[in-house]
Amino acid sequence: MTQADDRLKALFALDQPPARDPAFSTAVMERVMRQQLRDEVALLCGVSVVFAGVLWLVWPTLQTALVTLSQGLAPALGALALAFCAMSILGGRPTAALGLAT
Amino acid sequence: MSPASLDEELVAAAQGGSAKAFSRLVERHQQALRAFLRRACGNWAQADDLAQETFLAAWSQIGRLKAGASVRAWLCGIGYHKHLTAARTAGRERVRAAAYEADRNPAAGPPAEDRIALEGAMADLPPDQRACVALCLAADFSHAEAAEALDMPLGTVKSHVSRGRARLLQALGVCDDAS
Repeated sequence: MTQADDRLKALFALDQPPARDPAFSTAVMERVMRQQLRDEVALLCGVSVVFAGVLWLVWPTLQTALVTLSQGLAPALGALALAFCAMSILGGRPTAALGLAT
Repeated sequence: MSPASLDEELVAAAQGGSAKAFSRLVERHQQALRAFLRRACGNWAQADDLAQETFLAAWSQIGRLKAGASVRAWLCGIGYHKHLTAARTAGRERVRAAAYEADRNPAAGPPAEDRIALEGAMADLPPDQRACVALCLAADFSHAEAAEALDMPLGTVKSHVSRGRARLLQALGVCDDAS
């Protein structure tokens, strides 16, 4: 490297930003996080709109199916609900509570 | 661990979505990118804005960075294109006018007239030449690395650096002891 290059380099070095600049790095990451949040919100909005559209399209079929299914499953669901209540009341140990444990 | 392999590791993590790894890349490369943009556009405040924009773009495009590629060159390439777009939009004259008195570093060092002469000569160089000079003479990029960063043929970079150097030395009144 020549003396002229050294002189140029010394002059250019005056423009050098600090090697560590937490304020700058924080500002960048703040913008990165904000952009990431915006992207995620946009994605969620898009997915929600698509899901709502699909639901709107299939609702007539789905509604009929759900009514039929719920009528068929009502007795079984009722029995399951009773069993769950009984388990909760008996503290999760029905045999001991009813004196059937050996 | 060498700086290049650390970069590679950080890039891989950032490509997997790690903001923490990207934040380390920002810390490691902010100095080189900001220095390049300061020299390329002459306005420190605008250079820092462009550097932030560059890192934002880099975060969105990090998946495209090939394994083993120079992160510094890649960032400078994005920054250079952002600078060209901004210069086209705002008009180079306005950018230059804001550059001098407002943003001059008051730190002690070489004579003020030398710095003014250098800044003036840099501002008078065509943008491509200025970018080549900023990378190769000020930031120790190899000609090949600068060609990759600026997306220019190697021969063009070499001739830009050589012509730019001659014009800067002439502006400083320095005798070129290499010729």
